[in-house]
Amino acid sequence: MSIDANTNVGNGSDDAVIRLSDVEFSYGQRRVLNGISLFIEKGAIFGFLGANGAGKTTLIRLLAGLGKPQSGTISVLGQSPSPRLSQQIGYMPQLNALYAELSVQENLDFFARMYGLTDRAQRREAEESTLEVVGLLDRRKDPVLRLSGGMRQRLSLACALVHDPKLLLLDEPTVGLDPELRASFWEHFQSLSDSGTTVIISAIPWTMLHTVINWRFCMRDGLLPRIRLMASALPQRCPMLL
Amino acid sequence: MSLDRTLAIATRIFHQIRRDHRSLALIIVAPLLVMALVGFSFTEQQPVLDRISPGMMCVFAFFFTFLLTGVSFLRERAQGTLERLLVTPVGRGDILVGYLLGFFLFAAIQSALILLFTVWALDINYQGNLWQVFAVLMVVTVVGVNLGIFISVFARNEFQVVQFIPIVLAPQIFLSGVVLPVDQLPGYFQVASKVLPLTYAVGALRDMMLHGQAFSDVLGDVGILAAFAVVFLVLAAVTVRRT
Repeated sequence: MSIDANTNVGNGSDDAVIRLSDVEFSYGQRRVLNGISLFIEKGAIFGFLGANGAGKTTLIRLLAGLGKPQSGTISVLGQSPSPRLSQQIGYMPQLNALYAELSVQENLDFFARMYGLTDRAQRREAEESTLEVVGLLDRRKDPVLRLSGGMRQRLSLACALVHDPKLLLLDEPTVGLDPELRASFWEHFQSLSDSGTTVIISAIPWTMLHTVINWRFCMRDGLLPRIRLMASALPQRCPMLL
Repeated sequence: MSLDRTLAIATRIFHQIRRDHRSLALIIVAPLLVMALVGFSFTEQQPVLDRISPGMMCVFAFFFTFLLTGVSFLRERAQGTLERLLVTPVGRGDILVGYLLGFFLFAAIQSALILLFTVWALDINYQGNLWQVFAVLMVVTVVGVNLGIFISVFARNEFQVVQFIPIVLAPQIFLSGVVLPVDQLPGYFQVASKVLPLTYAVGALRDMMLHGQAFSDVLGDVGILAAFAVVFLVLAAVTVRRT
């Protein structure tokens, strides 16, 4: 595993799905992102790991186009983050961000329509397969109010997956999940990666201690005081070094 | 803009409110309760009740819509669903028009109840066509929806939205002709009344219900009211953005 100032995941920059160049971001006087440069190739699983307040969510939000860096450039799928890219991005925020009064099916259907799945039959098929993946098919009629925290996480992930995006931006997707479910999520992320979807995940390191899948993540120290990005170019099980 | 997305948002809001039985009850009961309190206080003073009823209807139609929309949109911002929406291809126009349509049915029911209660239960004396009066109240509710969305950006929680009520509503109650006719206010307040949307709503309803003027005669006031709705819509659109 190498540590250097400019960390890249992949063999070349031509197929970079994500490219950050000297990105800086501050909330008022507080510098959160301090000159990040990296690129991430198609199909990578890339993890931003760090303690609370390290800037992981900020970085994910910038990639989703929910903010602009004060300096530096961000390229996502070859363009600056913009609404034009929305169709190709699946975003799972840190808060579940679901409509509590609506059912599982209604929430998923709503976001499917927002992502442009207008054909009803096609939408139903996508919803069924997504609910099956996250294990909520038998709970589709239940209102979100009646779901446990873990089930809401699953539904939140489903809402990011339903339209089959090329890029997934997942902010702490496994928080509050039991180890078995967490492992199931990671397996699914690996299968998405294998089929060419790029998966960007932010997480607190100890929530990933029990993952047993092969995954790639890059390590870079000194980006800023508290955030560390971990990656390896080789698909091997990686010990937690933090 | 996308018709499918707009309708999806409107449908979603409709179902959310429909399933919130307590809110639904309040949408229906609260305006009637308030109108009853005001109306039956003036039982022995029918001429006063006749004079203030058009203004009271405007105030309540505006107030309840503003509050409902402001709190609902704040919840969208606070619980992250608005942020999640903005990362989809949905446009700002879809969100705002979807919200307007979603709330419109409930606002229409509310305004109809206020109007019918005022006319039948309080038995006010009025002239003019009730459908035309209802149409003006609908424009008032659109103003309330758009202003509610705009104001929600300045609040961090529902408590703060409620604090905006005196700022948004009190000037309109006292300066738009609800309590005193505008031409009886001090000069500086008459100037201020010109920038308040309810001034034109109250003026239009008073002209129709008290002086028997037709809708075509009050088109000027209704047009200015509609312009306020557009201005607030533009301001609301500015606040609904990704960054």
